[in-house]
Amino acid sequence: MIALPLGILWFGAVLLGVLDGTRRKNAMLSITILLLAFGATIALGFDIRQHGPREFVLGGWEQGVGIALRVDTLGIIFAVLSQAVLLAALIFETARGISARVFPAMVLFMGVGLTGVFFTGDAFNFYVFFEIAMIAAYVLSSYGETPRQLRSAFIFTVVNLLGSVLFLISIAALYHTTGRLDMVGIKAQVPLVDENPLILIATLMFVAFGVKLGLFPFHFWLPAVYTGIRASVAAIFSGALTNIGTYGLLRFGGDLLPRELEQGGAVLIVLGSISIVYGGVQSISRRTPNEVLAYSSIGQVGYIMIALAIGGELGITAAIIYAVINSLNKTLLFLSVSMQGWLVGAAFAVGAFSVAGVPPFAGFLGKLVMFQAGMAADRPWAVILLVFLGGALSFLYMFQLYRRRFWIPEEQREASAMLPQAVVVVMGLGLLLVGVYPQPLIDLAGEASHTITRQAAP
Amino acid sequence: MILLLSLTVAVMFGAGAYLLLKYDLLRMVIGMVLISNAANLFIMAAGLQRGDAPIYPLTDDTVSDPLVQAMTLTAIVISFSITALVLSMAYRVYTSHASVDIREISQAEEVQAETDDQVGLPDPHALGKISREEEDVPDDQDMIVEGERREVRR
Repeated sequence: MIALPLGILWFGAVLLGVLDGTRRKNAMLSITILLLAFGATIALGFDIRQHGPREFVLGGWEQGVGIALRVDTLGIIFAVLSQAVLLAALIFETARGISARVFPAMVLFMGVGLTGVFFTGDAFNFYVFFEIAMIAAYVLSSYGETPRQLRSAFIFTVVNLLGSVLFLISIAALYHTTGRLDMVGIKAQVPLVDENPLILIATLMFVAFGVKLGLFPFHFWLPAVYTGIRASVAAIFSGALTNIGTYGLLRFGGDLLPRELEQGGAVLIVLGSISIVYGGVQSISRRTPNEVLAYSSIGQVGYIMIALAIGGELGITAAIIYAVINSLNKTLLFLSVSMQGWLVGAAFAVGAFSVAGVPPFAGFLGKLVMFQAGMAADRPWAVILLVFLGGALSFLYMFQLYRRRFWIPEEQREASAMLPQAVVVVMGLGLLLVGVYPQPLIDLAGEASHTITRQAAP
Repeated sequence: MILLLSLTVAVMFGAGAYLLLKYDLLRMVIGMVLISNAANLFIMAAGLQRGDAPIYPLTDDTVSDPLVQAMTLTAIVISFSITALVLSMAYRVYTSHASVDIREISQAEEVQAETDDQVGLPDPHALGKISREEEDVPDDQDMIVEGERREVRR
């Protein structure tokens, strides 16, 4: 049951690897496979809501010996989210015409890597799936193959490789300190071992995931890459790939090393605040749409960091909800900003309102949970001030961008094809739906956060 | 032994980081190779115990930790395939820019950024240009840079 979504994706990815993805027939096949896996993941999600976390040991080994797949609510939330983003980007690109034969296969491989990362119960396996997703991302970043995209791809690959190596080193160090590789075992061992090496390990992990997320001091690659790549790839990166960073911080910080997360709280708050202000101010000063959105991503990550630093059940719930909504926002914005027409304009406006945190759009919920978590922090006024400031900045740059892109005289406007527009409109409606009826998301995130924090208590 | 290993890892990582800061794409790739191999050595050094080779039938002496060896093997395979990928990427950058020097490549990026800014200006002419060539604006501008590059080659 657990292995089913992974198996479908993996089989499909290998199959499409040998097929020509530029043909419409094969692209439709890849969409079908992704839909099947998506359905299986959702079915698994319902199962877990009823029966609690599930574990499955690969290769028929005993429990505790073999490598385990372990799924809890947190993993399911991120798996469903990432697959939805991949699905949207794949349908969008198919509708616009795929220009490279490996594109559908790479999207599916990315799906394998991401789903694996969210489903694994083993720290080293986390690294392996993480690399599968990253390799697919390296290939996708050069999609289009113009000189500019190649430059972006090279920067992206080198910087992220460095991040991956740091993560690998921290995994090896974690193994040496705790003597375990399975996450349950690590969690049981962590309170018993010496604190000092763990602080070093937690720092390394934070840097590795910070590089993936594009958090403030590690963000230099992000705008350079996002301005070059195609809209669908940018949507995949900001909507699906950054989830690795958020999930990694939640899993390794919130779940496995809660004490270290608490100790590093001050650093997280400072870096998160700088990210919000820096991302917002830079976005206002930029002109090209992708650059504005890239800096906006840097800003949005800051909120997740602050929510993580506040910690506790409330803070982690806020981080999860904010990450989910931010992913959906960014996917919608990156896809819609590359097109024209009044429908797309409307969808972009939904995304823009959502980033700014205006009700009834989903972003309002994100800001709301940030306020709630902020009230629990040591200095509530600072957090609330920051959320307000960030919201105001994002309102400004989003509507600057909206004016430049969509307020164009009627005669100079040529609407894009209908089908890609439809994808964006559906996503916009989805954001509206989450904003109007947020209870399922709040429940799920609360449950995920409860599972993590409850286990953390001795 | 641990001191020797950690010194080796440190020197390899340092050399890799130094190469990564060079202007040459190939040197950067080699720097990446060094860094990822430093990480592999680090995993080997993270083993919990030292001893005989962990091959069945086991002797009475302690065996070395087999887990780190398996991990290193996996990491080697991954870093090897990524090296191949990065090399091919470096080659593609070379064929499209006729250079492996980062400075020349970033110059092309600056030219690009200037054209971007001009396109982004909110005057009516530029707007007309946007809506006509809207579908893939970056690609059109890449064609300009591509054209310049061809001239350089000639």
